[in-house]
Amino acid sequence: MSRPALRLLALGAVPALLAAQQPRQQSPAPRDTTPPEAYYGVTEYAAARQKLEALMQPRGFTVYIVADMEGLAAAVRNATEMRPGARGGHDPTHEAFRKELADEVNAAIVGARAAGATQFVVNEGHGGTLFRNIHPEDLDPEAILIRGYPKPNVMQTGLNPRVDAMFIIGAHANAGTPGIISHNYAFDSFTVNGVALNEAGITAFIGGEMGIPMALAAGDNVLTAETRSMLGPIETVTTKLAQSRSAAAVFPPATVQRRIRAAAARAVRRVRLGQLKPLRFERPYHVAFCLRATYQPWVAEATANLAGVQRVAEDSTGRCFTYRSEAAEAVGNLLNKVEWIVLKP
Amino acid sequence: MRRNFCRFAALGLLAPGLALAAQTPTYTPPHLPPPQGFRVFIVPDMEGMGSAVDIHEVIAGNEGEQYRTLTSPDYWDHFRDLLTREVNATIAGARLGGARSFIVNEGHGGNLFANILPWQLDTGAILVRGFPKPLIMITGIDSTVGTLMFTGAHAGPGHPGILAHNFAFDSFTVNGKSLNEVGINALIAAEYGVAVSLVSGDDAEIAETRAILGNAFIGIITKYAVGRMAAITFSPARVRRMLADSAAVAVRRAMRGDFTPFRLAKPYRVELMLRRSYPDAIVQGVDSLNWRGLEKTGNRSYRFTTDDARQIGYLLDAIEGVVLH
Repeated sequence: MSRPALRLLALGAVPALLAAQQPRQQSPAPRDTTPPEAYYGVTEYAAARQKLEALMQPRGFTVYIVADMEGLAAAVRNATEMRPGARGGHDPTHEAFRKELADEVNAAIVGARAAGATQFVVNEGHGGTLFRNIHPEDLDPEAILIRGYPKPNVMQTGLNPRVDAMFIIGAHANAGTPGIISHNYAFDSFTVNGVALNEAGITAFIGGEMGIPMALAAGDNVLTAETRSMLGPIETVTTKLAQSRSAAAVFPPATVQRRIRAAAARAVRRVRLGQLKPLRFERPYHVAFCLRATYQPWVAEATANLAGVQRVAEDSTGRCFTYRSEAAEAVGNLLNKVEWIVLKP
Repeated sequence: MRRNFCRFAALGLLAPGLALAAQTPTYTPPHLPPPQGFRVFIVPDMEGMGSAVDIHEVIAGNEGEQYRTLTSPDYWDHFRDLLTREVNATIAGARLGGARSFIVNEGHGGNLFANILPWQLDTGAILVRGFPKPLIMITGIDSTVGTLMFTGAHAGPGHPGILAHNFAFDSFTVNGKSLNEVGINALIAAEYGVAVSLVSGDDAEIAETRAILGNAFIGIITKYAVGRMAAITFSPARVRRMLADSAAVAVRRAMRGDFTPFRLAKPYRVELMLRRSYPDAIVQGVDSLNWRGLEKTGNRSYRFTTDDARQIGYLLDAIEGVVLH
């Protein structure tokens, strides 16, 4: 079945890179426009948020950590390092990076805890294994882990106003940049009110409306530079220096983990001092995005059918759209819907 | 899409072709050794265990052709380890509560009901593993059992739980009451006077089981489903702690007689509907069982009346044999 190939298209990371690395097999991907609701009953975002909110301690300081993989220390190659054996990855290598992911997230937790954070929610943000990358037993046992796919509002599942700060670990640079495995969801470009946002920026935008600042981002030099230019002087940890989209001068994982620990502690202190502000935009939000050029045409057709989405008339490619909303959460849901079109379970 | 449903579905039933066409078992297995103290019967399933969300985590890939691609050994191995540790935590807690004898009956069809790692299981337990086994999820139950515990249970079809399904059915009712897998097995156990004291699973499973068994049992929510294959999960260590703590309390309360067996009025009027996702051949197979007393009431619907809940178990076995053939 060629559905796995279709999945990979969506999983961040893959398409452009693969195209560069190997001759692309042009067997057309089968069109699967089944709405995900028909595959599974996915809980509405608001309901998921309420479930998490009800679990959380009302007092203390909560950190919500998005755990992606492309920006991990030493990670450079999607095909072997970020995919399980059953999907063409290389088992021992993939296992090592799953461990590295847990180690870096744990480093962030340890650092944040030292600075007074009391509660941790970790949301799997990397789709290569359908959002099941961290071995649950490797993660700090006090943390709540959100895993699996499909889940509502992929990288922001359950995010709610009880969260005090957001971190993103293993983050990657925006689509079209020279960062390691750079991409942005299913898009070649994504802007809110004309401001280009990468995945870290989109999370910051959705959490920002709830008053939550993005306080720490760890990834390669391209990611840290672009995120600081988007969000201001938040804490960042540069895990490696990109030499191409699949080569980097990498810092030793132990060093990266030590830096993440220190940066996480600084991040929590700065949030408590009110030095880091949530990312906010003027309402209504004018969202504009172009789907990846590598997608089959039916992806654009299915996207055009989503409620509230307008095709950009003057765009000849037919894969650019606009969307207007009063709520960041609705933008998150839209992202989700687009992700579901390309990323079937 | 339907194909996917179909695959997830039969988790409890994975097995190679095996038709138990006999009305009653031709071989009567010996009784398990008598307990030397209070006996706990544990039925560990996998869909509702801590952290598990995806079919690839609970399937070994050797259960039949349709499951071959639904595993990822690097995931599966981790989860059978976690499963074993959950069962050990439950046993340890029950022992603290005063239990002295433990039967663990594999309730999950992955690897053909052989998920737990025998060498890592608490040495005080007798493990029932493999397939087929006479009463599947409740094989080995008898009146020497002091209390019954279900860990890692999952919700029935139509409920918003992780990998929700119920044997081979889209619906299964007894006396008009819809039962999930825990409910069906609780009813069979009640024939021996055994009551359920503890159930762990996701939030949908616990809510559904409360509606069936009532509020007496101790429910442990291991995770909160946000989709059929995604959840907000507690750490394995935290789930094990909850299981151990709760199992101790459950045993103490069971010894006091706090739990009552799940009884329904006899005769039991069973109505069941095979999954719509199944091919017609399965319906024909069930028809050709010529099961005594099994009456066809619709395209895929049947009715069955009995005074002995074990007969329901045997019927389930026979139907499974058809489904898995």
